[in-house]
Amino acid sequence: MKQTRREFIRNTAVTATAAAAGVTLPGLNGALAQEGDGIRWDKAACRYCGTGCSVLIGTKGGKVVASQGDPDAPVNRGLNCIKGYFLPKILYGKDRLTQPLLRKSNGKYDKEGDFEPVSWDEAFDVMAAHWKPAIKKSMEENAGKPADQLTSRVGMFGSGQWTVWEGYAASKLMKAGFRSNHLDPNARHCMASAVGAFIRAFGIDEPMGCYDDLEHADVFVLWGANMAEMHPILWSRLTDTRLTKPGCEVHVLSTYEHRCFELADNGMVFTPQTDLAIGNYIANYIIQNEAYNKAFLDKHVNFTKTPTDIGYGLRPEHALEKAAKNAGKGKLSKISFDEYAKSVEPYTVEHASELSGVPKDQLLRLAKAYADPAKKVTSFWTMGMNQHTRGVWMNGLVYNIHLLMGKISEPGNSPFSLTGQPSACGTAREVGTFCHRLPADLVVAKPAHRAFSEKVWKLPEGTLNGKVGYHAVLMHRMLKDSKLNTFWVMCNNNMQAAANLNEESLPGWRNPDAFVTVSDPYPTVSATAADLILPTAMWIEKEGAYGNAERRTQFWRQQTSAPGDAQSDLWQLMEFAKRFRIEEVWPEELLAKSPEYKGKTLYEVLYENGQVNKFPKQQVTDDRGNKYDNHEMEHFGYYPQKGLFEEYRLFNSAPDIIKKGHEMAPFEAYHKARGLRWPVINGKETLWRFREGYDPHVAKGDGVKFYGKPDGKANIITAPYEPPAESPDEDYDLWLSTGRVLEHWHSGSMTQRVPELHRAVPDAVIFMHPKDARKRRLRDGAKVKVVSRRGEIVTRVETRGRNRPPEGLVFVPWFDASRLINKVTLDATDPLSKETDYKKCAVKVVKV
Amino acid sequence: MNICGVLVHARPENIDVVRERLLMVDGVEVHGSNEDGRMVVTLEQDDNDRMADALFDFQRLEGVISASMIYHHSEETEAHAEEVTL
Repeated sequence: MKQTRREFIRNTAVTATAAAAGVTLPGLNGALAQEGDGIRWDKAACRYCGTGCSVLIGTKGGKVVASQGDPDAPVNRGLNCIKGYFLPKILYGKDRLTQPLLRKSNGKYDKEGDFEPVSWDEAFDVMAAHWKPAIKKSMEENAGKPADQLTSRVGMFGSGQWTVWEGYAASKLMKAGFRSNHLDPNARHCMASAVGAFIRAFGIDEPMGCYDDLEHADVFVLWGANMAEMHPILWSRLTDTRLTKPGCEVHVLSTYEHRCFELADNGMVFTPQTDLAIGNYIANYIIQNEAYNKAFLDKHVNFTKTPTDIGYGLRPEHALEKAAKNAGKGKLSKISFDEYAKSVEPYTVEHASELSGVPKDQLLRLAKAYADPAKKVTSFWTMGMNQHTRGVWMNGLVYNIHLLMGKISEPGNSPFSLTGQPSACGTAREVGTFCHRLPADLVVAKPAHRAFSEKVWKLPEGTLNGKVGYHAVLMHRMLKDSKLNTFWVMCNNNMQAAANLNEESLPGWRNPDAFVTVSDPYPTVSATAADLILPTAMWIEKEGAYGNAERRTQFWRQQTSAPGDAQSDLWQLMEFAKRFRIEEVWPEELLAKSPEYKGKTLYEVLYENGQVNKFPKQQVTDDRGNKYDNHEMEHFGYYPQKGLFEEYRLFNSAPDIIKKGHEMAPFEAYHKARGLRWPVINGKETLWRFREGYDPHVAKGDGVKFYGKPDGKANIITAPYEPPAESPDEDYDLWLSTGRVLEHWHSGSMTQRVPELHRAVPDAVIFMHPKDARKRRLRDGAKVKVVSRRGEIVTRVETRGRNRPPEGLVFVPWFDASRLINKVTLDATDPLSKETDYKKCAVKVVKV
Repeated sequence: MNICGVLVHARPENIDVVRERLLMVDGVEVHGSNEDGRMVVTLEQDDNDRMADALFDFQRLEGVISASMIYHHSEETEAHAEEVTL
């Protein structure tokens, strides 16, 4: 059979699509494109979101020339979203940084100077020259203090986009090396409320279910998740189930209409913050109708309450904090089932409807779906619920509903917290990059956890700091207050991402007492606000690993080289450690306990410890014999990624570990698999946790066991509706919600550099109800100012776009570096999780 | 030459009208669909920008619930006119 090459390729496209769709087309040639044209194909986890799709990367002549969804990947089954389609282009933005840049005047570092190219040597010299005095001062301030009262003047802001070993290496450098717990990831802005709720309810982090729930559920409920735009591949799987399974229904809750409403059987727009009332109403409905699963509750659940009137995580002198009776408190106390029932009793359908603005019949339909024992329900949520001044409470209210019904930890019955970043789970959460955590769910506050970590890391007893460090929002406040003096920002864009830019972030970074380093592939808003910029090798320019939202750990090999002098975060962290002698960072009395470390560098103590440097240099190959570079292995002379991962496994997979349930497979297994979901026991992954038959940690006969808690029971935690930190009033008469759009990922630092994505959505507009626009005499496209008590931006009005807010609410995406909406937002946080509420503050919109 | 295979989801009752709307986009062919609302679509455009615009256009079409890219081929040479033997 003869055909033109164009016809051949078209047929290939049709065949691949039909195969992924499960659609049979007559007369198709089954041949798919094979390796050819000198292209080397290999798998990698997508760089963008927490879904964790696998993509095939085609490399030719050292350059990535092609990519496609990985047909063998269980997550995306060959599918790719529009951002993923253009994925390799993120490597080749015109303004890639290729050498370190330092602010200088007259040939010397000057905070007010302009950026000039410098060598890595000079960059690290100047950086170390600022870190050393800050550490010295901290050591003086800490003289004679016990381990749980240590402070520090050095900090780092990390990332849920770090690879697993980069996050681990950073955690070790900051916590073991510099003895500073001022390490927090940008996941604080996105996942902290979810984490807080997991620990409170189950005593162990991350979802019990997995993406297989997408095919098993009869009912989907979206609580503050615009999956159609933010998780398009999971949305495609959900859509497929809705369209093919008889009786399947989709409920969508949001503060504005978005693309998911197109598929919704029950689309509900509620007044911001009133999800708390809706959650409690559903629990009340279940109890009033005696629909709850009594046997499950008796065996597997404790009832508790949490302190109320807890404030809004603002500065202590703020009026709202002073007025709060229990600011920041979260200690649970046990209550009876009857007391719990009484606590939700006020949340009748009338009350919930009045508060939320959602019609009663729609609330009832939602409650009935949860209460029907024959229907399997999966709840999804993301930032709508996490970026919430009561985010931990709200996550808990959804767990309450699932626990009341026993609809948890089995196929299709799944409360499921989705993640925003590709390794918010795998890195930010699992390796301990939060200011209160150590690897594998251990925490700095517990002496036994510190002692165990010191043993794994071969540190003298008492090295680790027991005082919880500064969280993300506090870091900017402390930079401004001159208590934090050196700050290293890696793999994220926090100047653009953090709320209240005008009053906290910018004054903090530009404080003359602060020296700020930003490592990034591109000159982001953050990089240009720093004092030193370090050029970074990104994504497949290094060997990497990510962990997605369903506990799946995925590896990739280095596919190509970074441009110019750009170096990976791992290289940067390990090289910087070489600049410090141990005597410069640890006090004499500590060093006296390990005299063998005297005269060594921090690098030698942390990374040449016989564990991280255990695996000799080798040629990396795949099972087809293709060869791959590994720049860091070449540079350090051993296989650091493998050494770091295997040392990390001493925290989660060794026989003497403190907390079971995070077990992982050996390093090599992940290079062979399309990811594995932990706990991995005897090479086998776990799909549903806490249930016999699925989770090997649950013994025969136990049925269900929430083994994260000492008594094996989960907590139902009652919490009421409380008002938001700021609501519209006469002067600022609109709610502002912020978020993302399909075409751009997060702050746009990568996607804005893909010409096609930038062209499609170049600017952030303000989505507004047509009536609100008319009231202000604004036409579509009119130039307006969005003003809050903290700042303002100028943008254009959109009344007919993909997002349709109700009257009284506007939505502005935050990807646009030229229209920084975080000049406007409020840095109110959940006092328990310290996560910022980017979804609600009061603004006005005026014509320019 | 740019050729992309796309899986489009629509509500089954909307398939015909969504097909009409898709066909209005330059370079689109609909190769088949099934009763569950899944449609096999290709998009072909030699110009990179027009290709990208078309992809974005049909993401936003009314009635398209989801559109996922499956396969993409791009080459700048004139090799596509060559005959190949299968």
